Amino acid sequence: MATKQEIFERLANSVTTYKRTDAITTAQESLSMKIDPVESINEGLVKGMSVVGDKYAAHQIYLPQVLTAASAMYGALDILLPMIPKAELKDAKTAATVVVEGDVHDIGKNIVKTMLTAGGFVVTDLGKDVAPETIADTIQKNKIGILAMSTLMTPTMDNMKKTVDQLKECGARGNCTITIGGPPTSPTFAKEIGADHRDLNAQDCVRWLKEGA
Amino acid sequence: MKMTMTNFERAQAALANEKVDHLTSYPIACGVCRKLVGDGKMTYRDWANDPEKFASAFIAGQKHFGFDFAIGLMDLSVMAGDLGAHVRMDDQNTPFVDGHIVNSMEDYDKFTVPDITKGRTNVLIKGTEKIAKNLNGKVVTSAFVEGPLLALSQSAGAERLFMDMFSDPAPIHRALKVMTAYDSEIIKAMGKTGINAICWDYLWGNYACLGDAEYGEFEGDKYAPQLNKEVLENGMAMAVHNCADLPHLNTQIKKFKPSIYSMAYYPQIEGSPSATKTIEGGYADHCLVAGQIDPQVFMRSTVEQVTNITRDLCQEVKTALCKRGLKSSYCIASGCEVPPSLECKMENIKAVVDATAKYGQMQY
Repeated sequence: MATKQEIFERLANSVTTYKRTDAITTAQESLSMKIDPVESINEGLVKGMSVVGDKYAAHQIYLPQVLTAASAMYGALDILLPMIPKAELKDAKTAATVVVEGDVHDIGKNIVKTMLTAGGFVVTDLGKDVAPETIADTIQKNKIGILAMSTLMTPTMDNMKKTVDQLKECGARGNCTITIGGPPTSPTFAKEIGADHRDLNAQDCVRWLKEGA
Repeated sequence: MKMTMTNFERAQAALANEKVDHLTSYPIACGVCRKLVGDGKMTYRDWANDPEKFASAFIAGQKHFGFDFAIGLMDLSVMAGDLGAHVRMDDQNTPFVDGHIVNSMEDYDKFTVPDITKGRTNVLIKGTEKIAKNLNGKVVTSAFVEGPLLALSQSAGAERLFMDMFSDPAPIHRALKVMTAYDSEIIKAMGKTGINAICWDYLWGNYACLGDAEYGEFEGDKYAPQLNKEVLENGMAMAVHNCADLPHLNTQIKKFKPSIYSMAYYPQIEGSPSATKTIEGGYADHCLVAGQIDPQVFMRSTVEQVTNITRDLCQEVKTALCKRGLKSSYCIASGCEVPPSLECKMENIKAVVDATAKYGQMQY
């Protein structure tokens, strides 16, 4: 029988070697061994995804590999996350990722979602082409502490501002850190619309949320 | 060299790196120029579906601003739409794909080359023909066409495509062969329009997305070189546009050898090549490089700010060209399309052209 440490290593390796099936079977095995799923995530999957993130930042691997690694991680997370008692997650930082209304380009948002998850955040992915009212409503109702918004297109940038305004209107802005990303955005634009930060990339987003926010 | 050159003379001279009165300029103002036509209320949807209206914006833009080039960019969902993907057409937003058509690996084998005499491909070809008819000889004209990997990613969804490229490349190659055949059909049709060039959008040659090995395998080593060659064989010059943050310059400029390379600059991203770095790296030695004004300034800056940005870029470019022993092989352009939204400030487009004429003057 495998040891706990071996299970963690196999989980990490399944991510760094892009093997979703291995990730899923190892996650199932960890549960049958009664290993705490939080430990499996933090000591296995997160460590593996951190290696992948570092290699991507160093241009040693590229999006095809990162996305495949993320798929492996999510395969295991789908099994482990439902097994975590809600009380254990009460202190975890919560974040929402979203592509604003009018835009369906979500590859960057999905990388941010992956890196946030790997960084220990509990992420609610709101998807793409989402109306400001829906975003604000979800943030408020679920008391989500971080909003990471993105857009690829210029005409939809103003929907970031509308979302910030909507959060202010419903009284949720004060409890929510807002960070934005996407090629047309800039730190100046973030300031202009009342967001807290503009991410250079997914790693920058996680780094800032952990250290700077 | 004449003291004052026509737009066409200047563009031709810059393409040959010969002496010019001042640097060439081309803010990539395409859909936004529909605001210059008629009562200024033409919708994006109408513009992108009617060859006459499509061309009229470029003709009006040239007349109003005095550009040196005209590059007939419509949007990046033309091919995917005609391949069967669902394209969302808002009245005042760039059309985009919101319904991909690859849901399994088997779907990659279902692509066929559509009839290019129909659909928006036909609108693009007929519109390009009208651009050529009206603007050839006044400016250097070019069609704008999606490269095979971009057309496939728009149809399949980039995320899915990238993962499938990694896990099972064979069906992707079969689909890319169809995309390449589709592009070949477009080249042949464009060759008959009289347009001077074809500008490819080879967006995925970008180190933020693909490394040399991946880009080479899925576009840069095989499909793109074939298409580039066919453009020349059909009597047109070949250009490349890539507005990504970390473009594959060695492949897309030194290997592909385009006449024009249009690129963006992201100062906050480490490694994103500035105009100086690009010229210093030898990329403007045999190619007219075009860039790198941030398209956002057309929405959010004042005329004074845009003038100053253009002035500074002209100075940077002139210094770098001089150091490299080059005469004119850099065009003051936007790094990507000027935002086509209704809020875009047309006076800022004019400011780039005017400031280039003033601050881009060359003394030899």
